[in-house]
Amino acid sequence: MTPLNYTLVITGAPWSSQAPQSALAFARELLAAGQRIDRVFLYGEGVLLASALATPPSDEVNWPKRWAGFLADNAIPATVCIASALRRGIIDDTEQARYELPGNNLLEPLGIAGLGEWVEGNVKSDRVIYFHGSN
Amino acid sequence: MMTSTQPATPTLHILNKPPGHPRFESCLQAIQDGDQLVLTENAVLALADRSVTLPAACKAMKADVDARALDEQARTATIDYAELVRLTAEHSRIISW
Amino acid sequence: MSTLIIVDQPPYGNWAGREALDMVFSLAAFDQPAALLFTGAGVNWLRKQQAPDAIGQKSVEKNLSAAPMFGVEEILADAASCERFGLGPEQLVSGVTLAENLQDVMNAHSNVAFAG
Repeated sequence: MTPLNYTLVITGAPWSSQAPQSALAFARELLAAGQRIDRVFLYGEGVLLASALATPPSDEVNWPKRWAGFLADNAIPATVCIASALRRGIIDDTEQARYELPGNNLLEPLGIAGLGEWVEGNVKSDRVIYFHGSN
Repeated sequence: MMTSTQPATPTLHILNKPPGHPRFESCLQAIQDGDQLVLTENAVLALADRSVTLPAACKAMKADVDARALDEQARTATIDYAELVRLTAEHSRIISW
Repeated sequence: MSTLIIVDQPPYGNWAGREALDMVFSLAAFDQPAALLFTGAGVNWLRKQQAPDAIGQKSVEKNLSAAPMFGVEEILADAASCERFGLGPEQLVSGVTLAENLQDVMNAHSNVAFAG
């Protein structure tokens, strides 16, 4: 069976929605089933999943860290949409320098990219699945 | 359900909004013969909502049903994430509502 | 492969409608066929003469009227939703096509997505 390629889009933020949890459970089973994840794209409020500063209580799931671990373990490219990220204060060192901001917080191994990443997923991936928030 | 003017590809609808959310109703109205509905997250509350009529081809995420203690009201088959993956592999057209 | 982006949330209360517009413009920028459908409370994005200055936002009217120039194939509004919100044709921004049958609109596109 040729694996199918998936692009996963997360638009719901951790704690404000279940999107990161549903998406991760789905993503794990995708790999277990032998399918491929082309990329993960965080859009809108979903960019908050990429904050290195999220600090839930130690007995709760740290969704950003859990996702970062999954992405790193499986070498899956993941990006936050730059427009959504800047607006909501998810910043890498390049943008920190560009805008002279007091800090940066983009969680590794995520990168920042434009909506072109999402368009590419539409064109190249066999499946595009969205995990939306509750709005 | 309205008839469409061209043959439609069987579509998998993944819905995470509870009954009462405008998109819940929009999703149900968009379902055509041959489509499959999966209720995830808050959408599983539809199982306990007597005012809702669910289509026959409907599944609910077990993890979300259990979280909300809806087991006893379960009006539809529950599935796990592995089964959701399988459904997405089987459907070339998927709408995440 | 054609993509339909649906806006069903009202304007100015959150950013979802703007993010939907960005998606459609991105598709068009990469020469991908794309259309925009406003339905439910989302049809209120299409009212003429929006004046959001006092709430600290910019109007989307200019972006919407520029859409065809940038390659967005269609801007559609659900007729029933327009009626529900008292939106007659003269109150809609220009370039909008009323859609009577959402099923047909959706079936015409292989990809259907929301911004959030």
